Amino acid sequence: MNRDINIKKTRLNCFRQSKVPGVFMLQMRVPGGMVDAKYLEMIEHISKTWGDGNFHFGTRQTFDICGIKYDSIPQVNEYIEDYICGVDAELCNVDMNKIAGEPREWDPKSGYPTIGARNITACIGNYHCICGNINTFELARKIENLIFPSHYHIKINIVGCPNDCNKAHLCDFGIIGCAKIEYHPERCVGCGLCAKKCEHGATRVLSLNPKTGKIDKDPCCCVGCAECVKACPTSAWTREPTDFYKVIIGGRTGRQTPRLGKMFLNWATEETVLSVLANWQKFSAWVMDYKPEYLHGGHLIDRAGYKKFKEIMLDGVTLNPECLVAEDVFWAETEYRSNYNVKPLETHHAAGPQKA
Amino acid sequence: MSYVLSSERADALFSELKKQYRIFAPKRFKAQGRYSDTDIIRYAEAASLEEIVFDEKSDYPAKEVISPIQQALFFFTEDEYRASKGNTRPILLFARPCDINSQHIQAKIYAGNGGYVDMYYERMRETVKFVLMECPSSDDTCFCVSMGTNKTDDYAMAIRVDNDGSVKFKVCDEALKPFFSQSTVAEYEPKFVKENETKVTLPDIPNKEVLGKLKEHPMWKEYNGRCISCGACTIACSTCTCFTTKDIAYGDNPEVGERRRVTSSCQIDGFSTVAGGASYRNTAGDRMRFKMLHKFHDYKARFGDSHMCVGCGRCIHRCPEFITITNALNKMCNAVEEIKAEKGGAEK
Repeated sequence: MNRDINIKKTRLNCFRQSKVPGVFMLQMRVPGGMVDAKYLEMIEHISKTWGDGNFHFGTRQTFDICGIKYDSIPQVNEYIEDYICGVDAELCNVDMNKIAGEPREWDPKSGYPTIGARNITACIGNYHCICGNINTFELARKIENLIFPSHYHIKINIVGCPNDCNKAHLCDFGIIGCAKIEYHPERCVGCGLCAKKCEHGATRVLSLNPKTGKIDKDPCCCVGCAECVKACPTSAWTREPTDFYKVIIGGRTGRQTPRLGKMFLNWATEETVLSVLANWQKFSAWVMDYKPEYLHGGHLIDRAGYKKFKEIMLDGVTLNPECLVAEDVFWAETEYRSNYNVKPLETHHAAGPQKA
Repeated sequence: MSYVLSSERADALFSELKKQYRIFAPKRFKAQGRYSDTDIIRYAEAASLEEIVFDEKSDYPAKEVISPIQQALFFFTEDEYRASKGNTRPILLFARPCDINSQHIQAKIYAGNGGYVDMYYERMRETVKFVLMECPSSDDTCFCVSMGTNKTDDYAMAIRVDNDGSVKFKVCDEALKPFFSQSTVAEYEPKFVKENETKVTLPDIPNKEVLGKLKEHPMWKEYNGRCISCGACTIACSTCTCFTTKDIAYGDNPEVGERRRVTSSCQIDGFSTVAGGASYRNTAGDRMRFKMLHKFHDYKARFGDSHMCVGCGRCIHRCPEFITITNALNKMCNAVEEIKAEKGGAEK
């Protein structure tokens, strides 16, 4: 193949260069990883008509269609108009005629206007999962219009519970659905199952008080997973009606400095999370002197320093009263509870074959 | 006598009744279920007719009103003690036939067992009048018809809420009749569920030899791997009565406090621990066997009239591991037939 192709332009249009010259892969956004199954027919059509007949689940939950020839890109873009309008414009209320909040007319037949903000990924959340505390993809759809279309890079992962299956700790902004838990001691039979669950699966904040036959809780270290609610046979533990979130920042993989993210906000409500994220464009622009670079969010936090990041992200935000904010961030391995694993030797887990 | 009341009239009646009675009924607690954004329906004092959930079975049984999960028996200071007063106002308890029939079983345990009457149960029970909630239909966990508990005539009043919001009452209790002096008389007789989707066959255990072999049968081992011994089945059970007592000292003064009764469960590990630390029924299968035989053999062997189950199906509904008492019963029946056949074969 001998053709002059501006691959930066095709990438911005969500067509990724392949190792075969002139052959590209389309990445289609699926905010929160959930769309109507009717779109699978479209995926099949694109793949069989312009692609190589195969389909890949993108690592960020995009529909990836490989083997698309450069010459087919205009036709593919025309075809995906319904998808982009149906999913982004309608489902997520995205104003396609803006880039990072600034007016810019979008030709609906031209495909994606930018690859900048990456697809928001999510676990299935409480739509299905017995562990999930929140509806993850509904939150993703509310966030989509705050970050897209924009040339500023940001990777957001949403998870339904602190088990973090979708790795909120490995992206720029990880959002973890949590529950504040209410105790109804008059319903507690003192079976201690919640304390066992908390010890085995969470942060060991519950203990059965032998004097009262009830549960003592160390509330500061509760991660809000609601395993106690799931375990309780009497509904003595219940979730408060409001959904809460932890926001984890600065996690990443990469060739240079991979690291786990750290907690920025704890016990934030949806309103707080959305108003904080609404400041992301402003922060990115400030850090990069208003010139978008191919640089992900975590690196921007590094460049600005956490304190500056905090200042801009919280600008104009009214935090919900329960919300806690990291005064500083100590980039290191994540421990929800300092030294939580320093405990009596006999309670340590054993490895290898054990005697009966 | 039966009456029909408009929804507004029924609300007004409810307010009148509340002046004289505490009204307990199944209420919906939004998002308080085991999983997020799921509700639970449990008994609590109802402020209005609207709060009462008629179209769905409660997750927890009506017994919670009469024998609460936790209650103070008496209070002590140094060498004195005083019994708790308990509930003193009369109660109207909205309940389905299964829940009402379960109280006949509970009464046997609390007030007819070994010649001893439990005054805490008795004093509460005496304050309660049942309001029969007509079951429009049964759900797929109900098997009351198989247990013969789908009907009852033990109620002070029966109620049906129709689709148009009008409410029908059949009033039997003399004390309640004056509340209806202005109401429109109507033809209304409560209907009972005649057939459930779920049916069970009850095991016929003819003698101690078969019982002994049933206890040893491998069928119980399945539950070692499935049951997590949480006790949700017995908490949700309409008939289970097990409780434990505990002396609770107030603050740091051990001479002041209360003796408290708290519901317990034979399914929880440690239930059978005795003085000295020995424990019986150490596996989930053993505990399941105990529960099943207690409900479907031992109780009837002692009291003679019925099994200790009203087929409300709440244990099925609440089990987080999808263990069904109905399938356990089927397995028991099969095991009993197997044992009988073996015995017959051996005799030949």
